[in-house]
Amino acid sequence: MKSLRQDWLSNIRNDLLAGIVVALALIPEAIAFSVIAGVDPKVGLYASFCIATVIAFTGGRPGMISAATGAMALLMVMLVKEHGLQYLLAATILTGVLQIAAGWLRLGSLMRFVGRAVVIGFVNALAILIFMAQLPELTGVTWVVYAMVIAGLGIIYLFPYITKAVPSPLVAIVVLTAVAMYFGMDIRTVGDMGQLPDSLPVFLLPDVPLNWETLKIIFPVSLTLAVVGLLESMMTASIVDDLTDSQSNKNRECVGQGIANIASGCVGGMAGCAMIGQSVINVKSGGRGRLSTLAAGVFLLLMVVFIGDWVSQIPMAALVAVMIMVSIGTFNWASICDLRSHPKSYSVVMLATVGVVVATHDLAQGVLVGVLLSGFFFAHKVGMIMYVGSKSENEGRIRSYQVVGQVFFASADRFVESFDFKEVIEKVRIDVSRAHFWDVTAVTALDKVVIKFRREGTEVEVIGLNEASATMVDRFAVHDKEGAEDLLMGH
Amino acid sequence: MKIENKVLACVDLSLFADYVADYAAWAARRMDAPLKFLHVISRHPEIGSGEDHSGAIGIGSQEILLTKLSEQDAALAKVAHEKGRIFLNRLRERAIAAGVASPDMKQRHGALEETLVEQEDDVRLFVLGRRGESAEVTNRDLGRNVERVVRALHKPILTVTEGFTEPRRVMIAFDGGSLARKGVEMVAASPLFRGLPIHLLMSGKASQDGPRQLECARQTLEAADFEVISSLIPGDTERIVAQAIQEQGIDMLIMGAYAHSALRSLILGSKTNDLLRSARIPTLLLR
Repeated sequence: MKSLRQDWLSNIRNDLLAGIVVALALIPEAIAFSVIAGVDPKVGLYASFCIATVIAFTGGRPGMISAATGAMALLMVMLVKEHGLQYLLAATILTGVLQIAAGWLRLGSLMRFVGRAVVIGFVNALAILIFMAQLPELTGVTWVVYAMVIAGLGIIYLFPYITKAVPSPLVAIVVLTAVAMYFGMDIRTVGDMGQLPDSLPVFLLPDVPLNWETLKIIFPVSLTLAVVGLLESMMTASIVDDLTDSQSNKNRECVGQGIANIASGCVGGMAGCAMIGQSVINVKSGGRGRLSTLAAGVFLLLMVVFIGDWVSQIPMAALVAVMIMVSIGTFNWASICDLRSHPKSYSVVMLATVGVVVATHDLAQGVLVGVLLSGFFFAHKVGMIMYVGSKSENEGRIRSYQVVGQVFFASADRFVESFDFKEVIEKVRIDVSRAHFWDVTAVTALDKVVIKFRREGTEVEVIGLNEASATMVDRFAVHDKEGAEDLLMGH
Repeated sequence: MKIENKVLACVDLSLFADYVADYAAWAARRMDAPLKFLHVISRHPEIGSGEDHSGAIGIGSQEILLTKLSEQDAALAKVAHEKGRIFLNRLRERAIAAGVASPDMKQRHGALEETLVEQEDDVRLFVLGRRGESAEVTNRDLGRNVERVVRALHKPILTVTEGFTEPRRVMIAFDGGSLARKGVEMVAASPLFRGLPIHLLMSGKASQDGPRQLECARQTLEAADFEVISSLIPGDTERIVAQAIQEQGIDMLIMGAYAHSALRSLILGSKTNDLLRSARIPTLLLR
């Protein structure tokens, strides 16, 4: 009861105002992303309305804005081109189902494997993709379009110096539309892009055959959509967490995104997820509660349905200006300066993530590469923490090796190389009680060392193997027994 | 560290804080216990400040926003700290004037309920206003924190109303339940009411065991050298207690509080809440 009231009613005025600001910024984005996906603007607008409204109730992060997004739109292009809108709607519903499953399986916690470098890479790649998606509107057009885009950006960034009471992207759109209509300019408008909503959305199941063939077509797309949607939502949630200094429920957010996407698919909308740029705008405008998200969705629909004729007159150049703003605002500019100061491995992971995404237009692949690379770098670094020292004892009859540090796949070869097999000696003592044997590779490497010594006719004694291999939690399962910390960290 | 059984006066920045301070000082003096004032500063991340509706985001807007919001929070917190410190200091002076040797004071961040539960271990008596800052404007009979806080705690809680009169006659609202019997024993053992006449009032539905339980309670108190006036008036508890308080000039009520679950009181109503509303005098709630 208490949290319900706190989530909804503690910030009514600011939430409603922020909702309007966000709704005004959502309209151009939804239209632009529909164009990217190759569907009518109404698909993106219905999706934005539906996702924002549903997530207000089901989401785990109050104050975060979810709607149709560029990251998702880019993944749908081929499906729409080859199979049409109905398959997209079916894929959207399946995406929702997969996201709900992810929430139930608590996969939200897997986000801890996505390091800072990958997150920054994701954000930068997203910004670049949004910018690149505007290029078709800017190639092979007259100078008028360029002039309008520049004028639009000028208004967006300079108007706040006059007043911050009115959203400057709205001013830019209104001014540019008025100018275009007054001079009767022959440039592309939103109306040229396809159908706009003319009514409230209605419930409609996708018109696709329910068979194995359909599943084979939509499943790969849905899986990628689900992954990218959750990734962006989780990242946005932690950004909003930081900004508002409060906690979010990540697994509830996963399920909430799923429900919102199912609902979107059922009213003829495309799949969406949380939006970094819009969420920042919402927090900046004072939005904190669930009401801000709900207000954004409802205002968006009201405006589009009742002033749809005017919306169709908006020149695409005005939308391009707004989208360039979103792209600039999403990009992490500090990360460029950080390239010099941060460790090389960090920069490589970040740039690799960006590179793969820009090449494939698939954020999921970029994140996968980024996570794998960070894993490699980490293994390499930790593998360096391994040292083998030796001294001779008992008047040169025995050589005693002392192994310290982490022995696992990345350091196993170096471990084997650290022993002098050619030494003519009676007995070798290997003390591993201060080392950690993390995996089978490490144990195999030790076996190899022992056998090699024996072949030279040297007697081998291994000390402390039990303590060392206690870290192989898979086998000994110490991780769930009492005193596991002592076993793992103590020696 | 030795466990000090202190009197904890929980105040917010409302005019009721003065009376909380007065009663806490009274209780501390009677029990010869250390007195501590506590002011809880709560944060409100769910409330936004929105003067910027420009909706434009540019280079580094996220970082700039984060810096701006954290600076705002820091500034607000500083103001709240200083305001609370001055307020607490005034209450401290007031308690010293009332004869308490060296009252302590403390401000803490967090939610009221959680903070009080954390402090509970070395507290002997909580003193808090039945209404607080928010009730000043909303005119509610019972502040919205009271029931939640009382339910969370397991030590006696003195809830005070407007005004301070040094208690001369106290009344125990006795229902014969285990909580009330335990309460009678606590009163008998405590120095808080020593020397004051105690009215022992039993009301509600007449039960077979009633007179025997009442007699038993009377003996417990008399054994501890209290002057006891016991009476058994069947009928509507709320009305009878309120009437008895008026007629006999009672200035402090003692009762067991919230013996039933929150769910049950949501449906059937809580007797404790009814009594707290009808009895307009300071009430000691026993848990």
